[in-house]
Amino acid sequence: MQPFDYYRPKNLEEAFEYLTMPGKTVLPLAGGTDFVPMARDVLWKCDAVVDIKGIPGLKDLKETSEGLFVGSAVRMVEISRSALVKSGWDVLAQGASVVGSDQIRNRATLGGNMCTASPCADTLAPLAALNAVVVLRSKQGERRVPFVEFFTFVRKTVLQKGELVMGVILPKTSQGTVGSYEKLSRRRGCDLSIVSVAAVAAPKNGGYEWRVALGAVAPTVMRVAEAEAILGKGRSSEEIQKAAEAAAVASKPISDIRSSEAYRRVMVRNMTKRAVESVIAKMA
Amino acid sequence: MAQNTSELNVVGKSVPRIDAHEKVTGAAIYVDDMQFGPGLLFGKIVRSKVPHAIIKKLDVSKVLAYPGVKAVVTGKDTPKPFGLYLKDRTIFVTDRVRYVGDAIAGVVAISEEIAEKAADLIEVEYEELPAVFDPYESFQPDAPIIHPDLGKYEVVPFIFPQAGTNISQHFKLRKGDVEHAFDQCALILEDTFRLPQIQHVPIEPHCAVARWDIDGNVTVWAASQSPFAQRDLLAQGLDVPHGNLRVIAPYVGGGFGGKAGISIEANVVAMSRAVKGHPVKVRNTREEEFVGTNVRQSVHAHYKIGVDKDGNLLAMEAQYYFGGGASNEYGVNIVRAAGYSCTGPYDIPNVKGDSYCLYTNTQIGSAMRGFGMPEIHWGLEQMMDRMAEKLGIDKAEFRRKNCVRTGDIILTGMTMPDIDLVACIDKVAKAINWGKKEEPSAPNKKRGKGMAIMWKAPAMPPNPGSSAIVRFNEDATLNVYVSGQEIGQGTFTVMAQMAAEAVGIPYEWVRITASPVDTKYSPYEWQTVASRLTWSMGNAVRAAALDVRQKVLDVVAKYWNEDPKDLDIKNGIVVSYKSEKEQPLQKMVVYGLPNENYEGWQGGPIVGSGSFMPTYVTGLDYDTGQGARAVVHYTVGAQAVDLEVDTETGQIDIIKIASAYDVGKAINPDLVLTQIEGGAVHGMSSAFEGYVFDEKGRMVNQSLVDYKIATAMDAPKKIHGDIVETPLEDGPWGARGVGEHVMVQTAPAMANAIADAVSIRINNLPLSAEKVYMMMHKEEFEK
Amino acid sequence: MLHEITLTVNGDPYTVAVKSHYTLLKVLREQIGLTGTKIGCENGECGACTVLMDGDPVNSCLVLAVEADGHAIQTVEGLSKDGKLHPLQQAFIDHNAIQCGFCTPGMLMVAKGLLDKNSDPNEDEVREAITGNLCRCTGYIRIVDAILDVAKKGEF
Repeated sequence: MQPFDYYRPKNLEEAFEYLTMPGKTVLPLAGGTDFVPMARDVLWKCDAVVDIKGIPGLKDLKETSEGLFVGSAVRMVEISRSALVKSGWDVLAQGASVVGSDQIRNRATLGGNMCTASPCADTLAPLAALNAVVVLRSKQGERRVPFVEFFTFVRKTVLQKGELVMGVILPKTSQGTVGSYEKLSRRRGCDLSIVSVAAVAAPKNGGYEWRVALGAVAPTVMRVAEAEAILGKGRSSEEIQKAAEAAAVASKPISDIRSSEAYRRVMVRNMTKRAVESVIAKMA
Repeated sequence: MAQNTSELNVVGKSVPRIDAHEKVTGAAIYVDDMQFGPGLLFGKIVRSKVPHAIIKKLDVSKVLAYPGVKAVVTGKDTPKPFGLYLKDRTIFVTDRVRYVGDAIAGVVAISEEIAEKAADLIEVEYEELPAVFDPYESFQPDAPIIHPDLGKYEVVPFIFPQAGTNISQHFKLRKGDVEHAFDQCALILEDTFRLPQIQHVPIEPHCAVARWDIDGNVTVWAASQSPFAQRDLLAQGLDVPHGNLRVIAPYVGGGFGGKAGISIEANVVAMSRAVKGHPVKVRNTREEEFVGTNVRQSVHAHYKIGVDKDGNLLAMEAQYYFGGGASNEYGVNIVRAAGYSCTGPYDIPNVKGDSYCLYTNTQIGSAMRGFGMPEIHWGLEQMMDRMAEKLGIDKAEFRRKNCVRTGDIILTGMTMPDIDLVACIDKVAKAINWGKKEEPSAPNKKRGKGMAIMWKAPAMPPNPGSSAIVRFNEDATLNVYVSGQEIGQGTFTVMAQMAAEAVGIPYEWVRITASPVDTKYSPYEWQTVASRLTWSMGNAVRAAALDVRQKVLDVVAKYWNEDPKDLDIKNGIVVSYKSEKEQPLQKMVVYGLPNENYEGWQGGPIVGSGSFMPTYVTGLDYDTGQGARAVVHYTVGAQAVDLEVDTETGQIDIIKIASAYDVGKAINPDLVLTQIEGGAVHGMSSAFEGYVFDEKGRMVNQSLVDYKIATAMDAPKKIHGDIVETPLEDGPWGARGVGEHVMVQTAPAMANAIADAVSIRINNLPLSAEKVYMMMHKEEFEK
Repeated sequence: MLHEITLTVNGDPYTVAVKSHYTLLKVLREQIGLTGTKIGCENGECGACTVLMDGDPVNSCLVLAVEADGHAIQTVEGLSKDGKLHPLQQAFIDHNAIQCGFCTPGMLMVAKGLLDKNSDPNEDEVREAITGNLCRCTGYIRIVDAILDVAKKGEF
């Protein structure tokens, strides 16, 4: 690994100073589980890292008037085990619980999982299905971005130089909201998703509002409005099948080392069906 | 030499591993753990970025100018060809690169970071040549020639390269009259199977340190299965007298064949010559491990097999095209082994086999657990399954009917030594509830069972030797010096059991003195390969132990004025069956025993030695592969797999694997079972593994992110092992090896179980959920 | 950039000077001299470098040494106490859960991390806990058995 500098600011003001050092490539460092593998590439350029783990507030996991705030330095292990997360936003806990291994989940953070912006990251589809809002902060102040708009392409986000992800806000959920995360990977243990589906059903007006999000099958995490609309009307096996097929049609998978496009597309259908059936089974 | 096994003390007992305590405390030392002080320099090997090219220009000036760089070594410094069976490579390439990963230069610097950074500054100008990656394409007459000088290379007498082609070895097997026999067949099946390159993936990457002293002595510390073979190859390749070359090899963190022969060690030694007096270390990153070290060869295999109406195998034709990679110095012998064992464990009267080793512009093919056998059994065992299916014969019964038996004249003309394959089949059939259809665990799953059998002989030169030295300490503990490597298989434990048994002392008194093996002080051992240590090194240890035993008895007999024949050593005490006298071994094994009234002494420090080398293997005829004794012996076994397939994803869950192998005599039964368990998972995992290349021959999945091996969540929860014991004539206490055999037929057993579950046949590895799903739902994807 | 850090390793305080890009793995092995923690992939995929950081199993290859400043690290060398093996170490010996031994230190540490939080895991939980630790030799069965055996006996 080639040398770089390390700073550990105590507060946001210090962090912004380091992040905007002129003429330098500076990256925020959270859990490091994606950072270190990248930094090992001799051609990879990074002059300094700014460890955000000492900044107050970024490790918060708390209910606010808006819903649930999850700080960007909160670790996967905390999210996956949090009673608070499970109380209304369980699908996020499910996603966090299948990120890498125990060792990875003990370091990896929500902010890191988001900012690496790999389409196959396991918290993204759950967060999209929970209508998460990303809270960003820079010297200029705070701005908020709807979750799916945070990502612009594979490994690309709207994050500007000098800007930090503070965390996400998960809007309050109605009583009886249930969700399921289905992940398909080549191996059972410790592998990247080739298709992932998060499905959430929230009671609304005597029925359910559905949200279906897909991971690993497009440059960024995506919602499937068509499928959501179909399920909003009913959840017979016919409708489930139609929604699943709509998800497959909407997906934009590619062929890569982990899977072919054709298999991914069919698996979007089968995994969506599985996720939706699992959600229905959880309904009270 | 098969000994009376009725009254054994420690042989046959599952004593604890002798290396266990060191390994659970972190005290066990591997090469990377050895300390060389602050003077240690670090090396980085610069590798080719193109698959096949002439190097037009190589400019290392920027590398040399980089602060902290001590030296750069290139092919100019290492022009001499070397190789185990065929001298077709140089340490660094001289004028031509032959795969993406070929070693072009070695950079030595004062730190890892500097070496890495400076290595990136090398300037290479290539004149690219057409490349060939697939073995069958490499076999075609119009294929680009990868080694134009093949005809000039030095080669051992039993390997047959063909100048002007990419064929580095052709083994021909001709028995009976295949054409005529096919005419008599009631059923003939023919098909083609392919396997990709895969890698050993030991958890310890290759690591080597070398120091070239000013006086010409050279020391190498290496993660090695072959310290002596490495010494020999390095001595040849670098013109150093064997006596001046010292290889020191501590514990090995997994080998599986990947640390046999030479990989980075020669590069490191050559690099150290440029900075005399300083140790130089190279430790592969995992990525370098995939790109720059040896692999199991790819294979394109074609079979034509015929049976009579009663299901008796009558004829077989097989062509094996092995993709040997850029150098075939070791791979040629794998291909020879595949050739002389080409029928698998079947008695077939008419055989025509052709086994070819082909140069390809890929990683160097070399030894890997199974040494050619997993490659040929993959297709063969599926062919046999289909044959039984077509005939309507139970698949286990078909195998019982046709499998090789003791005394058969097998394909090479050799008489099959004592084995019991039928017993292995019976045991796995019972363990897996063969013939009973089991319920799947969920409505979307389908369940199936499959079986496969195997054979494998140690594939070696005819005369690989073992030796051992044993030496008593004052307290009668016994140091046993050997040079077989403890790579996880448990050989130290087994050697201690054998030594204790043969001398007549408690197992706890034995100290295996072999970590590290040091070619300066340790006795000769050919290599830790071919599942040969229990048998070959075991024979040497037994001989050495019997040597000291006799020396002890002679001394005590004189002391008591008795006949040594009346004496025995029991639990560390010499006893006389005649006078009922007793003499403990303590002290006397070093200080001897006094004569009456101390008028002189008998004995002295007792040291023994033993060696073993098979003397009976014969050459095979080039045109027919026939000869009196092709190999030393065969180990045989059977496996059965119970699995289920998720019809919605194609995912495969292995529920149970049952294995049975005829090991002759289990010196340590529980260690045999641990080999069986680990081998089954290795075999299962290997079915899903494979190198993936882009169109430029660059490996795409060169990390554990995308080259996946089985985790604890992928491995089956149930692995049943059975041991069959048909003594081997020249095995110590009848033992033969089993380390490699345990993974040979797992992949085809799985394929047969998948066929049973969902009626698809997979001819080409790797296996994947995607492949299974797409074959099950062909119509869905043809739209 | 050089940092002076203080960390507790197996109960002992160490103050060392480390560069920003040095990993905890490198510093444990090369500066503190504890070579029981192994280098397998430096990518967080194999688990051979697993240590406990404030009680949690982590891949020490993915932790910068400077990040460990002020934290408590446990390595395989700290498992045995007063010359007596930890029950997990003894169980690995008794079950023949060791072959080449290269994954063993990481396996022991991840197992300790599991049992410290979940004293009565079932087989699936054990397999899930060790899924980030690759073993090429054993097929995992003995390792799982050894961990379950220690949990069953309850003395750790």
